[in-house]
Amino acid sequence: MPTDAAPFPAPFLAIERASYAYPGEGLTVEQADLALASGDFHCLVGRSGCGKTTLLKLAAGLLLPESGSVRIAGSALAGPSRQVGFVFQTPSLLEWRTVLDNVLLPISLHRRVTPADRSRAAELLALMGIGDYAHRHPRQLSGGQQSRAALARALVTDPPALLMDEPFAALDAITREELQDDLLRLTRERGATVLFVTHDIAEAVYLATHVSVMDRGRIARTTAIDLPPRHGAESRYDSRFTGLCHDIRAALAPSAEAAA
Amino acid sequence: MTAIRILSPALLLAFGLTWEAGVYLTGVSPIVVPPPSAVLAVLWAGLVQGWLWPHIWVTGLETALGFALGSAIGFLCGLVLGEVEPLRRLLWPYVLASQLVPKLALGPIFIIWFGFGLTATVVITALICFFPLLENTITGLQSAPPEKRDLFRMLGATRLQTLLRLKIPSGLPLILSGVRVAIVLALVGAVVGEFISGGQGLGASIIAAQGMMDSTLMFALFILITVMGMLFYQIVVLAERWLLRGWQKGSKS
Repeated sequence: MPTDAAPFPAPFLAIERASYAYPGEGLTVEQADLALASGDFHCLVGRSGCGKTTLLKLAAGLLLPESGSVRIAGSALAGPSRQVGFVFQTPSLLEWRTVLDNVLLPISLHRRVTPADRSRAAELLALMGIGDYAHRHPRQLSGGQQSRAALARALVTDPPALLMDEPFAALDAITREELQDDLLRLTRERGATVLFVTHDIAEAVYLATHVSVMDRGRIARTTAIDLPPRHGAESRYDSRFTGLCHDIRAALAPSAEAAA
Repeated sequence: MTAIRILSPALLLAFGLTWEAGVYLTGVSPIVVPPPSAVLAVLWAGLVQGWLWPHIWVTGLETALGFALGSAIGFLCGLVLGEVEPLRRLLWPYVLASQLVPKLALGPIFIIWFGFGLTATVVITALICFFPLLENTITGLQSAPPEKRDLFRMLGATRLQTLLRLKIPSGLPLILSGVRVAIVLALVGAVVGEFISGGQGLGASIIAAQGMMDSTLMFALFILITVMGMLFYQIVVLAERWLLRGWQKGSKS
């Protein structure tokens, strides 16, 4: 695997030579290697159908690799792990419960919800800027607000790892930027390790400490993003920022020519 | 909107008046086509004198019991078949076959088994209500989107939790539309069941009226059955709206 990133000491999330094929199809993920140190924000970019969502599901334990392994904090995954929060492409909120109940779902499935849980969830919603909507139903919220609620739900149990599958893809540009800033703030505060799938190169460079390009089931290249902490629209037009975007764009392009 | 609200009952009135006028103008025998005024008079007399009420009660009871029994069993079987795929594949041809047997044709055998009266009609009604609930429950349980199923897996939910807190609520709108179909069929089942087995009830009264060539009474009974059906349907719609109140909130439709 060609990589220009520093070697990872004791990775928190390690995917080693993992392969996966859906029944009756060729390999969707082939010999993929990925290592995330604790606190890393790792973005996976790639064209549609390159296997990035499948790799994310392998990391979550929703799928089990046919060969190779996925390890979180040193132990191999045998199924979905509650150490991992997952944010899906769609908010996937339960329409018949209030926003607060939705955020509390990861807790209420396992034990009785305490008043402390409720106030923590309410606090989290306030941090996400939707504190006033706690007792509404999801359909009364805008798309951006629903995404925020889904993020709060993933964070409510304080999981050390967060896996995100293009969670902001359906949002308008300004809402997406606001959510990116909120996500960075919340995950840095908690020291969470994040694996984030996106097809938006600028989003990846803005968020990540590392960006991996995926191509036809393999990790084609991993780039460390050694930019100063980014915040606000200005940093998106910085020359080093756009330079990195260009590099990653170039790494994605060969497959475009091959496909054409 | 208000214009239509006024126009709709006005249409019924116009229809009734045309019918009434038609009967007098053509001079057709009231035994063949009774005028609406006579029908309403018979209906009114029956309600005031009270001899219609026991029949209304019996048909209402048969409909309610058959509906409750058939829907509940249909829902429970739908849960089992919806959750256990091999069982569904194993039993589906037989479930389908059982529905293609015309259930009213089973009436005579039910009379041998359960005797004349309430039980046989309730069983026929329940059989008719069973299928819409079974089918809609199975389909409803499959309607939860894959991402939400993955969410419940990620959160370590048990199978029972996933059923109770994801699959049944996701499928509830579909399941309740099955209930709406069932209540309409239930009344038809009860009335026609009485044709075969009943000594009492509105369906049995229609047969009795036929024996006396009393077409005026028959039309009065048609009106009663229609009103009962609308009442039952309305109750189900209200219950549905109440159960789905969480879904409706904020939906833009």
